Amino acid sequence: MNITVTPATFSYVEFDADLTTRVARELAASMGLDRDVRIEIDETTPLAKIIVDVPTAANEPIVVHADSGAFEDTRRPRRQSENTTATSLGRVLYRATDRLQGGFGEAPADGELTLAQMAAWETYSVGRLARLGIPVNQQRWRYNFRNRHGFSDAGDESFALLWSSDGLTWGELQAISERAISVGTPARAQVGT
Amino acid sequence: MRTYFPVEELARDERFSKVNMRERMADPRTLAGDSATTTRKSRGNNNRLVPSRRDATDAARALMHGIFVGEIQALEGAGRTCHDFAVSNVPGTGPSGADSDPTTGNTVPFALKLDMARQAWDEARHVEISVKLSDWMGTEIGQFAENTVLFEAACSTDPVLRLAGVNRALEGLAIDVFTTMKDFGDLAGDPYLEFCEDWMLADEVTHVKMGSDWLRKVTENDPDRRKKALDFQNVVDKLFSYGGTRSDSEESPIGLARRFRELAGFSDAEVADIAAVSLAALDERKSSVAKMRDQAVTEMADQLGTA
Ligand SMILES: [Fe+2]
Ligand SMILES: [Fe+2]
Repeated sequence: MNITVTPATFSYVEFDADLTTRVARELAASMGLDRDVRIEIDETTPLAKIIVDVPTAANEPIVVHADSGAFEDTRRPRRQSENTTATSLGRVLYRATDRLQGGFGEAPADGELTLAQMAAWETYSVGRLARLGIPVNQQRWRYNFRNRHGFSDAGDESFALLWSSDGLTWGELQAISERAISVGTPARAQVGT
Repeated sequence: MRTYFPVEELARDERFSKVNMRERMADPRTLAGDSATTTRKSRGNNNRLVPSRRDATDAARALMHGIFVGEIQALEGAGRTCHDFAVSNVPGTGPSGADSDPTTGNTVPFALKLDMARQAWDEARHVEISVKLSDWMGTEIGQFAENTVLFEAACSTDPVLRLAGVNRALEGLAIDVFTTMKDFGDLAGDPYLEFCEDWMLADEVTHVKMGSDWLRKVTENDPDRRKKALDFQNVVDKLFSYGGTRSDSEESPIGLARRFRELAGFSDAEVADIAAVSLAALDERKSSVAKMRDQAVTEMADQLGTA
């Protein structure tokens, strides 16, 4: 498995291509991902968008396009955070792994996922990252899930199920997400205003 | 206890990382990527911070942390204004009056100190609310760099400049920010965010009104001092307009809360002025944005004597 990171050196930010390569290699090994990975960093933007192209041909590399904010230490602007790098890369590489390993054939392309579907998949991915030993703030992802599925006990149960799951298929993941939306009532009604 | 506390010495534990306005503006990415333009393109001309934005959760978390550190600095600033100046209840005593503080030549009426004390109490409550909201949203204390601009604006030796820069410009911006966050919470169905922001918003309107009222009263017979204060307010307002972060347009993440600004003592002309500057900023080309922003940072430093 070959990992490449571009650019090799940075002028807008103080990032380390070797660190990024190491993090990606460790993640791919833990996930059992057996494909080359090319990581392209846009250091000219502080935004934090990260997207992944998953090739159909077996000899093509997975390509990750990341804005510099996706790997940045939010405490120290323009510096890289290993933890943020691992979390951002881990999210897209798990999605790529799911698509390549089967069971996710009917999943829409990333750009066509609804906000709720994406939040559900992110929950599933970050839960697995936590079990790999990568420090994550579960409440951050719970809040994201609630924003997309409503603030309700049923929604929180779906979140917990996704977070603790392994080996889901797209159909199972989507069913958990849809259940949260269908039974979710805004928590606002419960506490009053 | 010492008067005039430098921003570098604000007490923070190891969780916090401070970034001043100059450092923040020196980030080459903001200009190289022209983020306002880029995001405008990718989000189909709508950048308003609403739950339907793909990055909404993280953007709201970052903004909430910005509010949290802003509340700490607002508390520190209002507290300093209570302490830094001698009392003189003689209207228009001004910088060189008989009762003035020998260190700075500036005095404040006792009732102004009472208002600042009340504000400090409000801000302390806002800090606590913000900590709880950040926790609720999955953000740790100090997770984002702290921009110290608010306290920098509260370092002037003229209390009237503090009222203009902090209470009118920055807390005016807080009115816009809280209104946007309140709407965000409402749309997302978040059971706490909407009403927490609403309560804090009510206090901020009062703080801006205090600034408007005291600025008018204290400078009643001193048009030069009033002009200097309003110029300073303008400079601080400009700092936050460049790049189009806040304006009436849906292309800006934060809207201009016209109604609440009226309640806070802004005249129609002042609101129109801020709206015009904000909209112009949205469409500025990145090179001129950079130039004007640098100029505003320098102007602010000049006026505070920290250049
Ligand atoms: Fe406040
Ligand atoms: Fe305030």
